Amino acid sequence: MKVLIVEDEAELLTSIGNFLSGEKYICDLAENYSRADEKLSMYEYDIILLDITLPDGNGLELLKQIKEYQKKAGIIIISAKNSLDDKIQGLDLGADDYITKPFYLSELNARIKALLRRKHFDGTDILAFNEITVDTESKFVTVNGNEVILTKKEYDLLLFFMINKNRVLTKEAIAEHLWNDNADLSDTFNFIYTHMNNLRKKIKMAGGHDYIKTLYGMGYKFTDQ
Amino acid sequence: MKFLEKINRNYLIPFSLVLIVVTFTGYFLLRSIIISQAKERLISKEYLVEEQIKKGGELPNLPPVLEVQKSDREPEVDSLIRNVTIRNEKEQEDELFLEYSVKRNIAGSWYIIKLRQSSFENEDLIIILAIAVFILLTSAFFILYLSARRMNRTVWSAFERNLREIENYSFRAGCDISLVNSDIEEFKRLNSVITDFINKLKTDYTTLKVFTENASHELQTPLSAALMHLEEILQKDINEDVFQRVVMVMNSLKRLTALNQNLLLLAKIENMQFEAGSDIILNEVFLRKIKEFTPVFDEKKLELDVQSEGNFVIRMNEYLSEILVSNLLSNAVRHNREEGMIRIVIRPDFLYICNTGQENSLTNETIFNRFVSGNPKTAGLGLEIVRKICEIHNLHISYSKNSLHCFTITKLKSGT
Repeated sequence: MKVLIVEDEAELLTSIGNFLSGEKYICDLAENYSRADEKLSMYEYDIILLDITLPDGNGLELLKQIKEYQKKAGIIIISAKNSLDDKIQGLDLGADDYITKPFYLSELNARIKALLRRKHFDGTDILAFNEITVDTESKFVTVNGNEVILTKKEYDLLLFFMINKNRVLTKEAIAEHLWNDNADLSDTFNFIYTHMNNLRKKIKMAGGHDYIKTLYGMGYKFTDQ
Repeated sequence: MKFLEKINRNYLIPFSLVLIVVTFTGYFLLRSIIISQAKERLISKEYLVEEQIKKGGELPNLPPVLEVQKSDREPEVDSLIRNVTIRNEKEQEDELFLEYSVKRNIAGSWYIIKLRQSSFENEDLIIILAIAVFILLTSAFFILYLSARRMNRTVWSAFERNLREIENYSFRAGCDISLVNSDIEEFKRLNSVITDFINKLKTDYTTLKVFTENASHELQTPLSAALMHLEEILQKDINEDVFQRVVMVMNSLKRLTALNQNLLLLAKIENMQFEAGSDIILNEVFLRKIKEFTPVFDEKKLELDVQSEGNFVIRMNEYLSEILVSNLLSNAVRHNREEGMIRIVIRPDFLYICNTGQENSLTNETIFNRFVSGNPKTAGLGLEIVRKICEIHNLHISYSKNSLHCFTITKLKSGT
């Protein structure tokens, strides 16, 4: 998968770049409009992460060009939370998703994977981790071939874990993924705990391993190591 | 009071005084002039009568205007002018006359000559003249008033147009103000002062707006970068103490981000940087947001009771309407208890949102204040934002608690 990251802040750019490279993406970095323009004219990308605010041009202009010349690419807008207009305009102009700063890298990962699934890039519908298989098209989950019935939140939780396997996820990151902006509204940590326990129980009942490791009571990791 | 009204009132009071004074003075002045002239006329007529007597012949007699009496000896009367009342037999009424009586010795005989003139004629003349003065002055004033009014329309029309222009001017539209020029020096000065003033404000406004937006962006970037680095540190093999500290720092940074965003939002609302937008039906916004909040309601097992009894329509920026509703809902969820309830009632003129919750010490006066929060986890900016949004949209919000905690939003009559 080839990803173009357009972001004017060098620190963010390298952080996102390093993270996605670690996730086995081929990353191209562009720190301004002209660099992005240049890259777009030379290569084809599967995913483009686009910051709207650029020092030498408007990211929305770039978006128009991408829609014209790179029809296949999935576009995720990186926006500042307050610039609602950019968000709306961006989606109107054909961006597939938006993510507001600051965001968790694991969340970005989930968004990219979701977008790839939506775009049906080479067999990304089936996600497997040892004995656990998830068909994202039909939302069908099996453990050792046995069907496991999950609630929506349990399913979202499992998918988030599987996409970010071997990564440490804080409770906050999980809460934000499951409840978006409303994550801080109520006792979400208790709810996470409940959903997590139910998920563990259901997987074990179907004969699966418990891959969810608790880390010092503050985070989780989905791993078989 | 309008300018012209004020001017007219200022005209009217002295003019009325002048009118009364001039009319009365005129009356008495005319009266004395006319009476003295009448006396002179009587005296000059008396010479004619004397001449007639000298010529001899019949004594002239024309009562009541002229009476001549011959006397054998010298009459005791002296020459005098006085007012007398004489009975008019024909009209059966008393008439007032100015009488000049005098004794004359002509050719050795004494005569008493009495000449009279009706006072009514004099009085009539005086009154007619006084009325004429009054009418003249009044019509002069009326003409002045009418011409002032017409002048007002022409002279002030440019001023009125400029005033309307200024009233309707909005910095947000970003356009320049165009004032109609006048040939009156004072208006010209006013126009140039206003234009300069607006241009300065516009520059300040733009600077502030750019600053707000930049500050938002500039702060978000380092916060994002810091959070990303910390998230990557968590992936390393670290001990429990470091792990916990990193998570705590991340949470603090998250709160800082939220605080920054809310403060910037408040600043933007205060600076009126949101376009008024279109008519928003708050009922629909509530329904949309309730759908979004459903997972949270479900988690907390909250019972929801929505009564939509007519559309609450308000001209508002769409984004602000969403913030308003979602802050109200957040508040109702955050301070609610498990298995509690939220009741929302919407009517055309007001709406209220009530929730079950814990006892708190907040009152209607303190609850909306910045950084006053019943919950140590939140910064207490949500309700301040709600109040600000209400304030700039001519809405009144109040908080009350009995068995439920209630927020009521009422439409204020415009102008109150």
